[in-house]
Amino acid sequence: MMHLIARGKNRTAALAALLALAMVGLGFAAVPLYRLFCQVTGFAGTTMRVSEETASAVPVIDNQTISVRFDSNTAPGLGWTFRPERPRDTLSIGQRDLMIFVAKNLTNRTITATATFNVTPSQAGPYFAKIQCFCFTQQTLAPGEEIRMPVVYYVDPKILEDPDARDVREITLSYTFFPVDEAATGG
Amino acid sequence: MTTIAADADHAHHDDHADHKPGFFVRWFMSTNHKDIGTLYLIFAICAGIVGSALSGLMRLELAQEGIQYLPQWAAMMGGEATDTAGKHFWNVMITAHGLIMVFFMVMPAIIGGFGNWFVPIMIGAPDMAFPRMNNISFWLTFVAFFMLFGSMFVTGGSGLGAGTGWTVYAPLSTSGSTGPAVDMAIFSLHLAGAASILGAINFITTIFNMRAPGMTLHKMPLFVWSVLVTAFLLLLSLPVLAAAITMLLTDRNFGTAFYDAAGGGDPVLYQHLFWFFGHPEVYIMILPGFGIVSQIVSTFSKKPVFGYLGMAYAMVAIGVVGFIVWAHHMFTVGMRVDLKMYFTAATMVIAVPTGIKIFSWLATMWGGSLSFKTPMLWALGFIFMFTVGGVTGVVLANGGVDQNLHDTYYVVAHFHYVLSLGAVFALFAGFYYWIPKMSGRMYSEWMGQLHFWTFFIGVNIVFFPQHFLGQQGMPRRYPDYAHAYEYWHHISSLGYLVVLVGLFFFFANVFYTLFAGKKVGANPWGEGATTLEWTLSSPPPYHQFNELPRIA
Amino acid sequence: MAGIYRILIAFLMALTPLALGSVAASAATTARPVAAPATPAAPAATPVATSADAAAPAADAAAAAPAFEYARPVPGIGQPVVGGLDFQPQVTENGRFAHFLNNAILLPLSVVICLLVLGLLLFVVVRFRAGANPVPSKTSHNTLIEVIWTGIPILILVGVAVPSIDLLARQYAPPPANALTVKVTGYQWYWGYAYPDNGIDEYVSNMLDEQTAAARGEPYHLAADNRMVVPAGRTVKLIVTAADVIHSFAVPALWTKMDAVPGRLNEVTFRADRPGVYYGQCSELCGVNHGYMPIAVEVVTPERFAQWVASKGGHMVAPAPAAAAPAATPAAAPAATPAAAPTTPPSAGATPAAAAPAQ
Ligand SMILES: [Cu+2]
Repeated sequence: MMHLIARGKNRTAALAALLALAMVGLGFAAVPLYRLFCQVTGFAGTTMRVSEETASAVPVIDNQTISVRFDSNTAPGLGWTFRPERPRDTLSIGQRDLMIFVAKNLTNRTITATATFNVTPSQAGPYFAKIQCFCFTQQTLAPGEEIRMPVVYYVDPKILEDPDARDVREITLSYTFFPVDEAATGG
Repeated sequence: MTTIAADADHAHHDDHADHKPGFFVRWFMSTNHKDIGTLYLIFAICAGIVGSALSGLMRLELAQEGIQYLPQWAAMMGGEATDTAGKHFWNVMITAHGLIMVFFMVMPAIIGGFGNWFVPIMIGAPDMAFPRMNNISFWLTFVAFFMLFGSMFVTGGSGLGAGTGWTVYAPLSTSGSTGPAVDMAIFSLHLAGAASILGAINFITTIFNMRAPGMTLHKMPLFVWSVLVTAFLLLLSLPVLAAAITMLLTDRNFGTAFYDAAGGGDPVLYQHLFWFFGHPEVYIMILPGFGIVSQIVSTFSKKPVFGYLGMAYAMVAIGVVGFIVWAHHMFTVGMRVDLKMYFTAATMVIAVPTGIKIFSWLATMWGGSLSFKTPMLWALGFIFMFTVGGVTGVVLANGGVDQNLHDTYYVVAHFHYVLSLGAVFALFAGFYYWIPKMSGRMYSEWMGQLHFWTFFIGVNIVFFPQHFLGQQGMPRRYPDYAHAYEYWHHISSLGYLVVLVGLFFFFANVFYTLFAGKKVGANPWGEGATTLEWTLSSPPPYHQFNELPRIA
Repeated sequence: MAGIYRILIAFLMALTPLALGSVAASAATTARPVAAPATPAAPAATPVATSADAAAPAADAAAAAPAFEYARPVPGIGQPVVGGLDFQPQVTENGRFAHFLNNAILLPLSVVICLLVLGLLLFVVVRFRAGANPVPSKTSHNTLIEVIWTGIPILILVGVAVPSIDLLARQYAPPPANALTVKVTGYQWYWGYAYPDNGIDEYVSNMLDEQTAAARGEPYHLAADNRMVVPAGRTVKLIVTAADVIHSFAVPALWTKMDAVPGRLNEVTFRADRPGVYYGQCSELCGVNHGYMPIAVEVVTPERFAQWVASKGGHMVAPAPAAAAPAATPAAAPAATPAAAPTTPPSAGATPAAAAPAQ
């Protein structure tokens, strides 16, 4: 009798411990899962990354325009200026657009930085497709160097089928440049 | 729930039932669930004194417009007497008050204390499933508390201590707070979390495997049900907190960037993880209170609980739904509209099982023969105050309304109504209900009643005006405020003095009970008290149920 | 021990004199905080008047730019009142709807539920006290009543959910094409505002110290040196981010609150229909001076807005390059006849301490 109770106890405890461990795992797994989830669903204003082939198959809806605003930020202490050439563009839905961002290193050190990005309103994320973006890679600027960085994107016509997003008149695309390596910036 | 026909004399028929070990072994290496429960209760009372003292200091500083005391207090704690150090000390106080009350007062008292004491007895078990693990849980909590306490004396950025708020949001808690204080606070949470996870495993195993013959799940007292649901919430939510704060720690110390946008991380992810834990956590604090109130209402109505199954499964429902509403704590974080609509609706759903509980308690009393001993007063106070906290919860559940009220004093008022007037009322109810059983002596009824009325009036004066402050726009976590807010802040602080008077009666009563209380028999509450603990002597024998009771 | 004693004494000393004072103060104020959307009193002179005469003191660096004077706040509008109970008067349509949802639906519902529970509790306490009912019943089930008290709350909640979902939909309605975009950045511990379409680069907004605030007739802790200035009757789209830790941009009278998260942009909109000064405060714990980074939004007439833009060296833009088409009309114009500027600034410098405008 006692023996049986002990066996049952250990099994329950082991199952419970396993459950707790699984939840720890889930807690850590949340990091890549959340990122993946955002990338796939456009959650939290995450933009889509598409290939040239996908992009070329997208129809252009001529009579439907949308405005895209460009927002740029730099982390404090980065020592760069960073601006879009124009504050916004107006384009047809499905139409491919190119925007140039200009970054300049104002310091006398070589600095590598990388950009985070999102769009607002966040329900527009799944329909904001980038074919080419400087944010896909790191950028390194020599002292005083200035570079012009392109973003090629379009707004997916599927946005017109989403009741939460189809009335959006303006999408804001925002970038923030952060130094890649603390040591490299001396910060 | 069921009436128990246990043999009345088994408490006395065993000689070795009262064979206690020596002082050191008994209290420092304890494996006895009642002794560990006692340790937890003493610990929770001590932590509660610290936590209440902090709230007293905060109410004192907030009583008047302007900064009155903070720099001096910062200096008294060993810091500098500067304006900055003072304001930092404010943030340290709000952080410590929150963490202490949640992790070192309510949880240890209600789960560690009453859970340990009465879950085994109520299901007819001789002890917890893993007595030594139980001991480890307690001492981990103990060390965790001193780790948190110690963090107040080491640097945390702009002053001594961790000033991040109990939520420890990144990046304020990572790049925003240098120095070891936040690391110590996080480590303290790790220890407390580990202790609670071990405790949860212990309770689950005890309840599943150690019930006396005939004690089916559907015959368990509701307090046991509440602890079972709570244990599952702990088991599923605390590991996520552990993972979340581990990543904070590595972000702080080892250059990872889980929550750092600069390295491709996302600070909002921390909030998701924290509240995935944090929302169940509020039910962890309140569910055992539901259980206690159910026992007490039934006892003092001399009636079985109305709608027992509905009550049990309402708690299960609250626990389940509690896991899918977390983002209502993050309504202003920049959330898409469909998500906000979902979290608004899902949160409101919780009102349904909560309503079932309130109405079932009323129905339990309906037709009963009510006596208003101190525990019953606290239980009645709980029911009403929890209702008040509940309806403001429905207001806040509205994402669109929360756009104004989020992070204001309205929220402070809301969660103090469910915790300070909810969970704490349940704690006092449980204390007066079970102290005769635990100590073998009866408390003083008039002091208990005075304690209730002063405390009841006091906390309402403290917290009710905070709804007005919140509606007027007063943000929380502010050491100072615009002149217009002084009026209600001042009244709120006056309420704290009334609370102090109430606490005085509580401590006086505790001393009176332990040293001069009238000795009581097995069941001081009469025919309404039907659970197994009332079949044992008061206090129960050191080892109970050497022969397992049979439940009819 | 001595320390604790001292603190207790301090507590008592701090509280007693104030208790008397505040009770007196309350007598004067408790009567009024009924927040009907009261129309600001003075039908002020056309605000354009200020530009000419007030230019003198501040014409330092921006010699070319015409001067702009901030309006004085009106007590009880855009800021808390002593002893106030209700929300601040709302000056946006969404704010009024949300206020209505709370005051006309949620609050009465809450009061009714609390009174119902309290009433039942008191009834049970009196009717079923041991003295009155010595023999308890044994009833522990009644399926019908259990179904009722599960079902009715569900129906009530569904009823409540309809307007709450509606409110969310309104708050998230995409801004019209002519919306004014303002970039808001939270810093430890001040705010930065920029107007990308008007060529106004970021300027920062810090809390005013006590003397300056008093001199300007503004509430200390809420007053800021540089305000965000936006036109009445036009949707404002805030794009919000932070540079260091998370802050939260909040203005109660506009029913607006949005977290400022480093490395990510958020968007929130409001349309104030009445000029005035509306204060707010940072609403996410952001470190030592979390309580000291207020927000001051001044809503002005379109003419005064143009003036302000000019004073900042910026330029006005025609509404949206491409979308001047049909979609823009409903929001743009006449619906929102902004009542009137609350008061025109009393050409500053002259009598700064001269008290609040007669309401
Ligand atoms: Cu802030």
